[in-house]
Amino acid sequence: MDFLKQIGIIERDITPLDPTPVFHIGGFPITDSTLMILLITLIFTAISFFLIRKFTLRPNKTQSFIEMIYEESVALIQQITNSKKHAERIFPIVGAMLIYLVFANLISLIPGLEQITFDGVAVFRSPTADFNTTFGLAFGAVIAINILTIKEKGILAYLGNFFKFKEVYQGFRKGISDGFVACINFFVGILDIIGEIAKIISLALRLFGNMYAGGVLMIILFGALALFVPALWLAMNIFVGVLQAIVFVSLVSAYYMLALGDEEEVSQE
Amino acid sequence: MEAEAAQFLAKGMATLSMFGSAIGQGYLVGKALEAMGRNPDVAGQLFTRMIIGVALVESTAIYALVVFFLV
Repeated sequence: MDFLKQIGIIERDITPLDPTPVFHIGGFPITDSTLMILLITLIFTAISFFLIRKFTLRPNKTQSFIEMIYEESVALIQQITNSKKHAERIFPIVGAMLIYLVFANLISLIPGLEQITFDGVAVFRSPTADFNTTFGLAFGAVIAINILTIKEKGILAYLGNFFKFKEVYQGFRKGISDGFVACINFFVGILDIIGEIAKIISLALRLFGNMYAGGVLMIILFGALALFVPALWLAMNIFVGVLQAIVFVSLVSAYYMLALGDEEEVSQE
Repeated sequence: MEAEAAQFLAKGMATLSMFGSAIGQGYLVGKALEAMGRNPDVAGQLFTRMIIGVALVESTAIYALVVFFLV
């Protein structure tokens, strides 16, 4: 990207892929995105601490607003899971992720926040524009999905999803051709283990790519064009930030429904 | 060929995969709009599913973008 700077298209440095360490605590680097995550966590702890204490049976304006957000997000998850039971079961995980991601995607749009420096290093950085954050989130989400599936179906049925010994046995009892089809399904089942890992990577890369590319494109646009086009892209970033948060959460719930299998869904309807 | 030239060529080639992603997204959204026009009652449900589908299709382009920055 140096050539863009040499010919004067961009004035600011493009944010590097890796987060920059701001300071070290006992050899453990504290990076700029970690600080931003801590800031968001602090804000949310404070909001929950001060608001929820005031909650009453008859809601005031703030409480109605928060209840509205809750109901809208449950309705969103319910559209994907097709059942209220499952929606409310995974909501503690995906709902927290939704609110966190919306906040994390949008917080970098606050002007001036990324210009605060300490020892010449920017202190804050959009946490989702760092692959470590998104990978951690996706990893946690997939682990949570697997644990929930084990809880729902039992450990044997869960392992049966990946190692289809039963189907092979049943297939060969029916006939040779059914048996060979079951053998192919057996290997497909083993491939599903790799599929789980691919889910983590695709979830993480999608969010990271969108947020990082948004930031890079903004820097290039600010250097190359006057104010009008970058302003439009800035407004677009609000939309993209919310949309990517919703997409991440929808995909996590869709993966959960996939892991549960179809039988559950049919019995619900 | 210089190493830097090869790098820029690789960057350009990586972005070519966005071509397919664009076709996929256009097809998906077009079909979804068609279905919504035919049956406006399910428009809400379709919209959510369309967004998920678009996000899945878009991931190819995002992988290309990540490759673009990594090369």
